[in-house]
Amino acid sequence: MSSIESPLDLIRLSISERVYVKLRSNRELRGVLHAYDQHLNMVLGQVEETVTSKEVDEETDEEIVKKSKREVDMLFVRGDVVILVSPPLKST
Amino acid sequence: MLFFSFFKTLIGKTVAVELKNDVILTGTLHSCDQYLNLKLSSVTVVNGDKYPQLGCLKNAFVRGSVVRYVQIPSGEVNTELLEDATRKENAPKKREVAK
Amino acid sequence: MASTIKELIDKKVNVVCVDGRNLIGILSGYDQLQNLVLTDCHERSYSSTSPVELVPLGVYIVRGDSLAILGELDVEEDAKRDLGGIRAEPVRPVLHTQS
Repeated sequence: MSSIESPLDLIRLSISERVYVKLRSNRELRGVLHAYDQHLNMVLGQVEETVTSKEVDEETDEEIVKKSKREVDMLFVRGDVVILVSPPLKST
Repeated sequence: MLFFSFFKTLIGKTVAVELKNDVILTGTLHSCDQYLNLKLSSVTVVNGDKYPQLGCLKNAFVRGSVVRYVQIPSGEVNTELLEDATRKENAPKKREVAK
Repeated sequence: MASTIKELIDKKVNVVCVDGRNLIGILSGYDQLQNLVLTDCHERSYSSTSPVELVPLGVYIVRGDSLAILGELDVEEDAKRDLGGIRAEPVRPVLHTQS
């Protein structure tokens, strides 16, 4: 197995594995990594997107965290919105 | 260049482009360039009632920098080929020299 | 890719900027950075509470990095619309900075 010398080598070892990707504007993706480049542009398969939004209940003044999920077959993700990529998930 | 080549293989296919302003355009991928600027023909806007600004468009040039996602028809993609190309493109430089 | 903007030259185009503004004009020129020259240009300012406001701008240069969507306007379809009756939120700006 090739050694890991740069951060991107870790992603290289995650090809065709399920990865977790955190994105700007409170979005997260879980999906199979099919492709990436040095900008962290990516193609993911069997993707689940989670968008987290916060709303303030006007009566109680409490913050309500809402999570909406959707599934996409295959998705190209532009690298400039990527915050972090985490290698294979043990669960799911 | 990997994704430029990848998008070139998708020309003529139907894609949904989701922008950073939450607008989603669907249409036929007409062309793309090295900056991943995309041109769509027969465009429709998802949730079009909300965006009259985008009604009456015949085609759309989308600047690559405003794209968040592109939803791709998975049946049109050979994932094995794509993964191999990715491994090749991102191969550690040293190993190449050693060969 | 430059060739695809070429197809739009001298056509009536609809431009959505990264700040959400909507410009209509004749595309008279462009360059490789997608800087655009629009003649006979006007802005359509949308609001959820008042009719669409048309702001005449004359000749306008749009810098490429503030361009989000560029499309050919279907003039016939557009003429059928009653802009005065349309109430809509402006298109959201493209967010580059929000985390």
